[in-house]
Amino acid sequence: MLDDGAPIFSQVADRLAEEIAEGALAEGDRVPSSNELAAFYRINPATAAKGINVLADDGLLEKHRGIGMFVAAGARERLLGARRRRFAERYVMPLVAEASRLGIDADDLVALIRESSHAQGVSTL
Amino acid sequence: MTTVMNVTRYHLVDRITVVALPWCILAAAFALDVVILVSAAATPGTPHPVGGIASIFVFVFAAGLATANRSLPFGLALGVSRRSYYLGTILLGVILAAADGLALAGLQAVERSTDGWGISMHFFQVPYILSGPWYLTWLTSSVVLGLLFVYGAWFGLVFRRWNLIGLAVFGTVQAAVVTAGALAVTWNHAWTSVGHFFTTLSAAGLTGVLAAVAIGLAAGGFAMIRRATV
Amino acid sequence: MTPTISVAGLTRRYRGQVALDDVTFDIEGPSITGLLGRNGMGKTTLMRIIAAQEFPTAGLVRVLGASPAENDAILRRMVFVREDQAFPDLKVGQILQVASWFHPNWSGELAEALLADFGLPLNRKVKKLSRGMRSAVGIIIGLAARAEVTLFDEPYAGLDAEARQVFYDRLLADYAEHPRTVLLSTHLIDEAAGLLERVVVMDRGRVMLDAAADDIRGSAVTVSGPAAAVTEFTAGRVIWDRRMIGGQESVVVAGAMDGPDRARARELGLSLAPLSLQQLVVHAAGRGPADLRERTSA
Repeated sequence: MLDDGAPIFSQVADRLAEEIAEGALAEGDRVPSSNELAAFYRINPATAAKGINVLADDGLLEKHRGIGMFVAAGARERLLGARRRRFAERYVMPLVAEASRLGIDADDLVALIRESSHAQGVSTL
Repeated sequence: MTTVMNVTRYHLVDRITVVALPWCILAAAFALDVVILVSAAATPGTPHPVGGIASIFVFVFAAGLATANRSLPFGLALGVSRRSYYLGTILLGVILAAADGLALAGLQAVERSTDGWGISMHFFQVPYILSGPWYLTWLTSSVVLGLLFVYGAWFGLVFRRWNLIGLAVFGTVQAAVVTAGALAVTWNHAWTSVGHFFTTLSAAGLTGVLAAVAIGLAAGGFAMIRRATV
Repeated sequence: MTPTISVAGLTRRYRGQVALDDVTFDIEGPSITGLLGRNGMGKTTLMRIIAAQEFPTAGLVRVLGASPAENDAILRRMVFVREDQAFPDLKVGQILQVASWFHPNWSGELAEALLADFGLPLNRKVKKLSRGMRSAVGIIIGLAARAEVTLFDEPYAGLDAEARQVFYDRLLADYAEHPRTVLLSTHLIDEAAGLLERVVVMDRGRVMLDAAADDIRGSAVTVSGPAAAVTEFTAGRVIWDRRMIGGQESVVVAGAMDGPDRARARELGLSLAPLSLQQLVVHAAGRGPADLRERTSA
């Protein structure tokens, strides 16, 4: 759930962005209303609304008068693009740091990656 | 329904203390006086005044005190000004006084028509004060009941603000004032004038004086509640 | 826009003690604001003065644009739920009925639903209820009144954590449908943290912090790990607190941590834990507002 590390509204925005990026919320799907999010996370509705607005201002959500907020076309692609850019910082850096701490060299690292991708049934790696 | 009237309604929710209890006390005093009179085998035909009626007056004073004190914290919590709370409480006193006064006048009429309940007991007839026509009895007893309720309310507010010590001081100050007044009258050899004033004052006139006193007491109580905190 | 609640230079002295010292802030509605701080620091006195149950020694209070003292028109639009409210000798149902006469927005429906939530018996005298149930009565009045200005002063005495959560949930749900200005005084800060848009922190009768909850969230971090690494990592930062045991050190540092900071911490084998709102408030109460707003550039 939510933690103390960042403003709540930005955590709400991040989670919604995650759901869109992962495809759980498809383009054209209705996004939960601020009241629904407030009830779910047990937070102030104004805070929830602020989180939604962050994404709306970015063009990732669009408002349909009287009905609610919907995932905009192309939102997923844009989010995945941003995630790719953050991939190096978020996943590769810690991977390298930990591997170096444990004395795993580059070849071993590649082997581990191949093993994992095989176990998970991923073909691209 | 204005705020003041809602305060009165609030007081009336607990009807027992305010409405029924004084009459239960009166009924008990009545029964007691009947027993005493009958067992004393008093001579029939001559009027036998008894003092039991005082009980309801004393109890209305207590009701005023209890109402003003106990119901104040929640009263203010309801979101009313102290002024509205006070007026609502006084209104309660006025309504009760008028209703109880009317009942007393009615019972007095029954007493008269049954020759003192068959035993010549004058419970509801009091010489000089409650001995005139029914409407005068109603007026006088209502004013006295109202006065005592307001007086009791003032005591109740003093208690709330300054507790038992404050109450003692308050009572003592009043006794001192009365004593000082009596001393002043004695000093000026004015007792005959005072006596003269009262004997020439009819029951109706006395009622007027008491009404003025009641208003004065109400003002005192209001001054007390203005800075009350709960 | 006129603030819903406006307090200026409010001071309250009695018996040589200063309960409130030049308190000034504005609250705009609709919103939920937390009045935070330790017990005995002036929160209750402040709320009682706003609710016109007590009088200030100096300063001004304005609610909905006017002074609430002896002002029926304003008082009618407010509701004040205090800790340990004294009730008259009436039953639960009677108390709620009386309360409904004095609040124009009263919702009988909501009152009924809350009675069921808290499991209160309508026909029992309030004085005979447990402390927690009496608090529940107060909470029901506070919520069902749907007053434009709703003041709660630690209204949950005697309620267990589950019942308190019911209170927070119902407050949020009704607030979402019927927005109003809520001022909630509490020392259980982390429980209520999600509800609050704004926090006003008081210490010894003074306002130490007045900020949006989201602005201060994440503004301080506890850095823990091997002492040498901690010292290296926290060099040049504002330090609020330092604790050591053996070769380990735990330091509270002002400022948010960004991505590179986190990565570096991982490299050094340090763990980062952001301060909870409660911890931030404790620090704010002990310090001053300026400290809390220092951040490293993010």
